Amino acid sequence: MTDESRSDAARRTAGSGLGRRAVMLGGAGAVGSVFLGTRLSFGQQAARPTVVQAAATGPAKSVHLAGTDGWVSMPAGSPDDLPFFPDSLAPSPFDTYVFGFRDVTGMSATQVAATRGKAQISAPMLAFDELDEVTITLSNLGLVMRPDLFDGHTLHWHGFVNAIPLFDGVPELSLAVPIGRDLSYFYRPRDAGTYMYHCHFEDVEHVQMGMTGMVFVRPKQNKTPLAGHPIGTKYAYNDGDGSTRYDREFAFMITELWSAAHYRDAHIQVSDWTDYAPSFWLLNGRGYPDTIAPGGNPTSAAAGRLQYQPISSLITCNVNETVLLRMSNLGYQNHALTLDNVDMQVIAKDASLLRGRDGYTNYLETNTVDVGPGESRDVLVTPHQPGEYLLYDRNYAYLGNGGGPGWGGMMTVLRVGAPGTYGPQTQPNT
Amino acid sequence: MRLNRSRRHPGDAASAARTRRRTGILAAVGALVAAVAVGSTAGAQAATSEGLLCQTDPQQTFSLTARTGYVSTPDGNSIYMWGYGMSSGQFQLPGPVLCVTSGQPVTVILHNDLPEATSILFPGQKAVKANGNPAQPQLDTGGSLTSMVQPAGASGGSVTYTFTAGSPGTYLYSSGTDVTKQQQMGLYGALVVRPAGAAGQVNARPDSAFNPQHEYVFLLSEIDPEVHLAVERSQPVDWGAYNARYYLINGRSMPDTLAPNNASWLPSQPYGALVHIKPYDAASNPLPAVIRYLNAGRGNYPFHPHGSDERVVNKDGHALQGTSATAPQDLSYLKYDIDVMPGQTVDALMDWRDVEHWDATSNPIPTQLPVITDQLLVGADTWFSESPYLGTKGTYPSNITVNNECGEYYHVAHSHALQQATNYGAAFGGMMTVFRIDPPAGCPTS
Repeated sequence: MTDESRSDAARRTAGSGLGRRAVMLGGAGAVGSVFLGTRLSFGQQAARPTVVQAAATGPAKSVHLAGTDGWVSMPAGSPDDLPFFPDSLAPSPFDTYVFGFRDVTGMSATQVAATRGKAQISAPMLAFDELDEVTITLSNLGLVMRPDLFDGHTLHWHGFVNAIPLFDGVPELSLAVPIGRDLSYFYRPRDAGTYMYHCHFEDVEHVQMGMTGMVFVRPKQNKTPLAGHPIGTKYAYNDGDGSTRYDREFAFMITELWSAAHYRDAHIQVSDWTDYAPSFWLLNGRGYPDTIAPGGNPTSAAAGRLQYQPISSLITCNVNETVLLRMSNLGYQNHALTLDNVDMQVIAKDASLLRGRDGYTNYLETNTVDVGPGESRDVLVTPHQPGEYLLYDRNYAYLGNGGGPGWGGMMTVLRVGAPGTYGPQTQPNT
Repeated sequence: MRLNRSRRHPGDAASAARTRRRTGILAAVGALVAAVAVGSTAGAQAATSEGLLCQTDPQQTFSLTARTGYVSTPDGNSIYMWGYGMSSGQFQLPGPVLCVTSGQPVTVILHNDLPEATSILFPGQKAVKANGNPAQPQLDTGGSLTSMVQPAGASGGSVTYTFTAGSPGTYLYSSGTDVTKQQQMGLYGALVVRPAGAAGQVNARPDSAFNPQHEYVFLLSEIDPEVHLAVERSQPVDWGAYNARYYLINGRSMPDTLAPNNASWLPSQPYGALVHIKPYDAASNPLPAVIRYLNAGRGNYPFHPHGSDERVVNKDGHALQGTSATAPQDLSYLKYDIDVMPGQTVDALMDWRDVEHWDATSNPIPTQLPVITDQLLVGADTWFSESPYLGTKGTYPSNITVNNECGEYYHVAHSHALQQATNYGAAFGGMMTVFRIDPPAGCPTS
């Protein structure tokens, strides 16, 4: 199902060489420079830990992901839940076994192989422009802890409209990548919005184990801002009226983590997934207070126990700026995120602007945003007072870490500074 | 790690049953066998192998009987159930899909063969009467609620409900007596109300038009087999230990959801859930399919269709529109995940569009399909065409069973609370089905 107007527009653009060139020229603009900018070599990758911004020239963009296993850390002070947590096999300073993706774009084969056993959660955040010609190559590096398994991996771009099965990543209906092999997926995203991606091989297991990440698509309206808006203006959607304009963006992969299942995967046991009973509630692979720790880089040990959970969920902005919150849920539970003191405006659900076929706009003003499993929301907030405001799951059962005392779980902070406190945002979640 | 129980124990009985069932599915899906109407659908419209099987009646009068019976699950289990079936037929799960016209009187006569009183609630319908009296909650002499509506007495009782069919859309009907237990036991079904004079629309809005050849009901529910075992053995139910193990679409779990309507090997589960369409085409195939989602369970079912958004046009029997009297605003929206709440109904239009028009010679994909030895095909069978191109079949390894007929596309659609997309924990099962997209010219008949 596709919005008539936007699909027709997209088809016209994609179908003509002139249109293709126009996109490329547009990509040279200020907005484009953020995402089409310089292709970084492996050595420079440390500068962009959280977002993959691939390829230098025009709308062709290449990303290389690797699927493997590894170890991560739940928040310090989480109580023991033996034998499941902490995992007795975990190397210091980690405690939890995971599967995950790594961004290995531009790496040599040797460097790619060296990421085996060093998965990260949440997966690398991917951002593209509408009509980019995106090639994502997935390499399956195998599982260090489980040489007995021959699990494949796949890439499922969740919500991608009018996909063909070959690029949809469901192994029973197409194919999976065997260990030691790779597969290139091609996408030409036509619809702006907030999506997610995950492995669909044994999905109930591989998704829970951590092979989940954010992917979002920027509208072509960014390349030709509306009248009166400066070059570089950012919009969430092709709104035609500036109603989705924002200054900063922060994305949140919402998941839960069931320690027992992770333990069993490391210890050659099986889980009955209908017994699902998560122990940790995470934003971008971290529980509070780790959620507000700075972003890191999986290639650097500087972040210590959070080395392989590189994505921060701390939200920062200057007063009166508009912040876009992109929320995607790849947990198995519904979540209801409340923001204290600042109203939220839901502008889109599942990468679709809340606007009817007749153009009637139906944005929702609220203080709590519900996100079900497999759903996304785009939310605008414009704080008018400096201060710290909590963003948290209103189901208080999800505000703990492993059943321990104190605050934890699915919570982060919106930090609002006086004008000029924070310079222009160059990366999401920074 | 493969957790599929039947596959992990290839020699056991469940696996054998699964293999037989799979073979049946292959034959039925592959050859598009027209199903033969049997038993419970004897009074239905002309039976088709796929899509909505409506129960209709010129007087909109339906005689249902609540009975006991058994359903089978893909892992070889057999579950004791209660269900509504046509009185002229037999036990079935879920109850018959009753299709009526808005504004016209409806009569539902309920006969009760169960060992305890039962009833039918019609949430969303107004001025419902039971045996000619207003439908009312039933209280015992002490003032305690015994039923949400007048019931039919145990073991042979009956009650007649009448109402005028309400606004167009989809409604869940289910027991109003001992609801926690009786709904879990299977006493639920779908009521489809069509707009008068516009049966090809979901509601009165012309923009809710769909292709009547591609109408589907997805009635979502779940089973905790421990509850059913206790009821079968007349033992107390430990509701505190409730934990669903099976998740169903139309009373079936994947892969049984793909079997045709009235499949002979699923005698009490008559309704399939395979969606079978062709790509959108403005001239030859302009109208979308419609999927009517209903939740007869205890929690949300976040249903994720792959390969296509769906446009939500109706909820709980009402069009999503604004209050303008002259031109009600369109409040429909596109979703890639339909999060259906307990008791809720959601009507969604769907199509699939070939936007890239990949073609092996004129517009090849910009990537490579790996050679067979660099592919991992999962399981003993596959739906994959071994080709990127719609209508083209490639070469398969010799050790795999091919379900693909002529290079058609298949997309999966499933609950994204992924533990619900399992059969008792085994992946690629449960609340899951498949959308089949044929080439524009269709598959050559075989």
